Amino acid sequence: MADLIWLHEGALRRTHPVFVAAAPGTAAIFVWDRARFVTGHVGARRQLFIAETLAELEIEIHEGDAAVLLPQLVAAHGADRLLVPTSPDPAIIGQIAAIRQAMPQGAVEQVEDTAFVTLSREPDLARFFRYWNKARKSALRPHGV
Amino acid sequence: MIAALVGEDAAADETVSLKGGRRAAERALAAIDPVAYAASRNHLDGAVTRLSPYLRHGILSLDEVRNHALASVADPRQAEKFIQELAWRDYWQRIYLAHPDCIWNDVESYKTGFDASEYETELPADVIEARTGVACIDQFIGMLYETGYLHNHARMYLAAYVVHWRRVRWQAGAVWFLEHLLDADPASNNLSWQWVASTFSKKPYIFNLDNVAKYTGHDINTRMADNRVLALSYERLGELLFPNLEPAHG
Repeated sequence: MADLIWLHEGALRRTHPVFVAAAPGTAAIFVWDRARFVTGHVGARRQLFIAETLAELEIEIHEGDAAVLLPQLVAAHGADRLLVPTSPDPAIIGQIAAIRQAMPQGAVEQVEDTAFVTLSREPDLARFFRYWNKARKSALRPHGV
Repeated sequence: MIAALVGEDAAADETVSLKGGRRAAERALAAIDPVAYAASRNHLDGAVTRLSPYLRHGILSLDEVRNHALASVADPRQAEKFIQELAWRDYWQRIYLAHPDCIWNDVESYKTGFDASEYETELPADVIEARTGVACIDQFIGMLYETGYLHNHARMYLAAYVVHWRRVRWQAGAVWFLEHLLDADPASNNLSWQWVASTFSKKPYIFNLDNVAKYTGHDINTRMADNRVLALSYERLGELLFPNLEPAHG
């Protein structure tokens, strides 16, 4: 099985678990998606910051709509699986859903980042300290375990 | 390559205080001092880490920053304040994922005595142009534009000024910050604006000139004559900013 990795602007590092989940030597791609930058209010200074980060990462960069380009890029790379770091951003979630529609079932896999804390159940998010009271013990341990 | 993505003018911008990339992130991480952070983080010249742009873009993970902090202290409790700040980011991200509708909508109603419809929907031009006439506020706006970074206290001062002194909806201010901050994250940013506004907290956050003077250095103008609308007691500010509320607010 050949893989391809889509790194979006919330997961710009080679130590992300998505690289462990992929086959060794898998190529990673960033899509410079100007439309998403506009809707996400990504200003010029932040775009420069992202571009500087990409220059160091030495990954392929394509410009356009990620939802349209990625199925094509998976095919162009001879890959049959796309691995994507998870994101809470509804715009990225929407693009992942669109990519899934365009690819065979099971061909898109999301990979979680390393957990900050380990919680036995979903915390109450109504106020920070309700969350912190449950998370504190784990947060103060290496690797949150 | 950078110029091809952002244009030659932007690529040549030398005013940016924080550079992108993992190497810059690792340098910033190596420099953190959780003990000094706990002691001085509330001051604009305190031992803040400026890791937020790297965490925002996943260049560093919360896990590795926490592990680094723990390794640098003898007792985990010495790093607790710093790790708690990391936990805020984890908390905001969990809300973003579980309740995405909260990011741009009021989580609760305003607790200011005003209805949301009584707030302006656009930022006033003098705020955008850093010429409000409130000296410290104009300096903080200048910092935002010049560096793409603001200390948390400066963010709270600006947010409170926009929402409570100028009675502008928090959403307008949130967009403004997102467009200029290097660490701009809709969850951390917008929910913090909502915390200041009181749509995600029990009461509105306000400050006065004494508070600014306490937490800033000599480079911020805190002269009373140049910051009159802030140079009041909390009691008086409460009366002026929230006239529909019962007294003793603050």
